[in-house]
Amino acid sequence: MSLSLLFRDELNGFYRSKVMLALWVGMPALSVLLYVISPSTGTIPVAVFTSLLVGSIGGTLSSAMLAVSIINERERHVYDLFLIRPVRRRDILLAKFLAVYASVVVAGLLALALGVLADLAVTGLSRGINLTGLVASMIILLSMLAVSCSVGIVIGIVSPSVLVGVILVLYGGNQLSAVVILPVLLIVTEIWFPLVPGVLLTALLLGVSIAAFNRRQL
Amino acid sequence: MRLEGVTKRYRDVTALDGVSFDVRKGEIFGYIGPNGAGKTTTIKIMVGLLRDFAGKVAMDGHAIPADVAAVQKLLGYLPQKAAFQDWRTVDQALSTFGRLSGMTPADLSKRIPEVLELLGIADTRRRKITQLSGGTVQKVGMAQSILHDPAFLVLDEPMTGLDPEARYQFKELFKRLRAQGTTIFFSSHILSDVQDIANRIGILDRGRLLHEGTFDELRARMKIARDVEIVLSRDSDRGIDPSALVWVTGVERTGPDRMVAHVRPDVDMDDAVDALIDGLKKAGYRLRSIRPLVPDLEELYVRFVEGGAR
Repeated sequence: MSLSLLFRDELNGFYRSKVMLALWVGMPALSVLLYVISPSTGTIPVAVFTSLLVGSIGGTLSSAMLAVSIINERERHVYDLFLIRPVRRRDILLAKFLAVYASVVVAGLLALALGVLADLAVTGLSRGINLTGLVASMIILLSMLAVSCSVGIVIGIVSPSVLVGVILVLYGGNQLSAVVILPVLLIVTEIWFPLVPGVLLTALLLGVSIAAFNRRQL
Repeated sequence: MRLEGVTKRYRDVTALDGVSFDVRKGEIFGYIGPNGAGKTTTIKIMVGLLRDFAGKVAMDGHAIPADVAAVQKLLGYLPQKAAFQDWRTVDQALSTFGRLSGMTPADLSKRIPEVLELLGIADTRRRKITQLSGGTVQKVGMAQSILHDPAFLVLDEPMTGLDPEARYQFKELFKRLRAQGTTIFFSSHILSDVQDIANRIGILDRGRLLHEGTFDELRARMKIARDVEIVLSRDSDRGIDPSALVWVTGVERTGPDRMVAHVRPDVDMDDAVDALIDGLKKAGYRLRSIRPLVPDLEELYVRFVEGGAR
């Protein structure tokens, strides 16, 4: 019960603090804008470009959002009022992860949809869209965002301050999420393959975060 | 709630050293001590936030932290500084905490206005908590602690930062809750507040419990003389009827219109005062006032902690 309640609560928080709006409008708009002004993107479909960009920028943003919010709330003892109730520590972290992941995935899919529309406008309806490429882009996007969000959770739990947390996100978080595109670079043909390191890495990082949070004295 | 030999160390620092005491059902227990004495550490152990300690803590037969979930259902807690997420309104905060405490939406729609009204902050229900003053945030913190009608309230410095009116309001609320059967454990630096509302007190210093008991027991332990000051309506040098003197060890003149009677340690103060009034009237005195010269908790505390109780 507490996980679903906390998840809805976190989503409500993002909605009220306008984070959702900034992600859902800003991310697709930024992707298309960067495609237009970048000089060397001529041969890449807009959809692929936007998915990679959102995976990267959106990943860093979600990672930073999660790390900063957890460190802040931890330092201010916001969790005390949750943890004196029958709430599992694990649920607090999972609710945060799921809420940010859901918000950033919607932003990514909106950016992707905008990219597809842009591709169709450029190439014309008659040539259609490359479905395989689109699905591959989506899989990479979902995997990168999941890893980024879980990195944000780990950093939020272990980091001693907001400043250190942000530095760790910028140095490590974004780079770690790139692991999911290694199979593509290593010429693995199956388009679903980036899901494997994505899911494994996310599960591992969330497991580490939950163990660290359970051990932490508040 | 029973604590037995509770010891908590933070690396080389011993925050609590074998602390043992009971909080009895239906009482208000005031927990006092200087900064850094270990009051907040004790409270965090009692509510299950600190789980790594030596000794035994149990409530209603449920051990903490092993069976903390059973205890948490009975518990309300107000931290020293209640903190909420920035985006929350008062209503959202109370709704979430109420749901997490097992309340239904129907319960909450009735209980939230009731609690806010009780604390005098009904008009803040739709406002963001970040826009409220420190004292009002403290009241929101108090609201979340009593929302689910807990049997046992644990409050860490609940009246710090409150104006006199709000302090009075909190004290009246505590008395009311106690009358309804709620047990209250609270720490405070404001010793006059503790004296006003606590039935029993615990004095903690440098992680060690120096005293547990009532205010009178503390006074008796310190062997403090119990004096009564008598002020006469006009100067007089008459004697006192001997019947009044059986309750006192002596009467001392401190001025032409006043005297101090030293009450025997083995008699009830009220009986002694009654007898003194009778004896003085029989001797033809007219009294302006008569009052026991009992040191307040602050004076006792300072004498106790600084006077070698350590």
